[in-house]
Amino acid sequence: MARVKLPIGPQHPALKEPENFTITLDGERVVDVDIRIGYTHRGIEKLMESRTYTQNLYLVERICGICSYAHVVNFTQNVESVLGVQIPKRAEYIRTLVLELERLHSHFLWLGVAGHEIGFDTLFMYTWQDREVVQDLLELISGNRVNYAMNAIGGVRRDLSDDHRKKVLEGMDYLEKRTAYDKEVAINEKTILARAENVGILKPKIALKYSAVGPTVRASGVTMDIRKDDPYASYAEIPFDVITTDTCDVLGRIVVRVLEVFESIKIIRYLMEHLPAGDVVMKVPRKIPVGESISHTEAPRGEDIHYLRANGTERPDRYKVRTPTMANLPAIAEMLKGSYLADVPIVIAAIDPCMGCMDRVLLLKEGSETPGDIIPWDRLRAYGIKWYAERGWKI
Amino acid sequence: MPADINRIKEILQSVTTDIQSKTPTRVFVSVPRNDLIRTVNILVSELGVQHLSTITALDAGTVFEVLYHFLVNGTEITIRTSCPKDDPSVESIINIFPGAVLYEREIHDILGIVPNGHPDLRRLVLPEDWVGGYPLRKDWKPPEGKE
Repeated sequence: MARVKLPIGPQHPALKEPENFTITLDGERVVDVDIRIGYTHRGIEKLMESRTYTQNLYLVERICGICSYAHVVNFTQNVESVLGVQIPKRAEYIRTLVLELERLHSHFLWLGVAGHEIGFDTLFMYTWQDREVVQDLLELISGNRVNYAMNAIGGVRRDLSDDHRKKVLEGMDYLEKRTAYDKEVAINEKTILARAENVGILKPKIALKYSAVGPTVRASGVTMDIRKDDPYASYAEIPFDVITTDTCDVLGRIVVRVLEVFESIKIIRYLMEHLPAGDVVMKVPRKIPVGESISHTEAPRGEDIHYLRANGTERPDRYKVRTPTMANLPAIAEMLKGSYLADVPIVIAAIDPCMGCMDRVLLLKEGSETPGDIIPWDRLRAYGIKWYAERGWKI
Repeated sequence: MPADINRIKEILQSVTTDIQSKTPTRVFVSVPRNDLIRTVNILVSELGVQHLSTITALDAGTVFEVLYHFLVNGTEITIRTSCPKDDPSVESIINIFPGAVLYEREIHDILGIVPNGHPDLRRLVLPEDWVGGYPLRKDWKPPEGKE
């Protein structure tokens, strides 16, 4: 059969961020994938060179709308490292709390998106309802649902009251109950098993070869978690487990994230029960000296690494950001090879790309190089579900 | 368990003695660009380095610096090399770390540093019709007539 090239994106409903995947198909099978990114390139690294450190504190927060705080923590850790200061312990605890709340909201969000991609919108409704509890807590603590503006160079800008602690703990009790249900669904629900088991295979060897990160590699049995490997904030003193599975498929990536929610709840409870007293911010020198620093955090999607080169002025000489999605893109090409076209949306979504929205796919008719019908997203999704039904998959 | 700085110095002594570490989990190794591949190979075979975090490139005034960040046992080992501005190129490491494919395209795109041996140097982050030069070079000026 003639091979067909199918462009998906940059504007496509399966992608939450504009990226372009040009997929070469042999019948229904994906044989090759080419990835083109840069559609949301905003030149932030360049912009940071012309802004002061204080201005940049708010600019880095806007790199991402979901894991914004991981970027802010990296930035402040880098600046504090060049300054050579150690922030108060209470500030570290509060940063860790917000980092884990961010992971909770990101994982709930992703779980819903994964459900949606496979036509299981009930799960989407449930998890996004639970995510609201996290968003309310974040708003209570920081005043914001996204882009929390919590950090200052030298600590955090807001303290936690006893009432906040009580509400956070109540929230965790509720979420633990709800997630126990989500876990049952993820492990036993036929719809999920039919669409996620043995789909988007990424063997550990390949995951390592392409330097993939986060839940994507942990679902391939690779124990890599920056919180444990190179502890930052207050992770060194908190007991928690790194979740891995060895199924190497989309199901594994679902299970890892659901179980990580329990770990995050455990971490947050520990933080709230052991919150040290003291200041939440310290005075730091206004002048940032010459120096360089690398900071990396375990963002919800994996290792997020920043590099700072300071030249003694009030502006950084160079600031480099590498987000986890960038690290996972080469691996995605490997996961898609050999998959069915109908599985492409969930396989792409399974790395939890930081994404935007799309309207339609261009379908090239088999053997033809000219664009054919334009299929709206819901028809493509219905097609995926029908395709499985015709092959006797009970969904 | 951070990587042992003395062990790193020992295995790299034939390549360089410029190895600095201010904190246990951050190691900076400076090597001439001709020794880049050899150094990466030594880190892989002797230390078992498996993860390339990213590649940073920057305009350091007289030269371009290229920094390769590797993660092993929680330690971020950075290999620092540089190339002259009239010959902005380094050897590609994608035969050792295929995960470098996008990072090398990125430094080529924004700073014009050519990774020799890279099979696919299309643009990565800048638009396909971009003619405005290399924005992260310090002498870069925004193209005229455009916001």
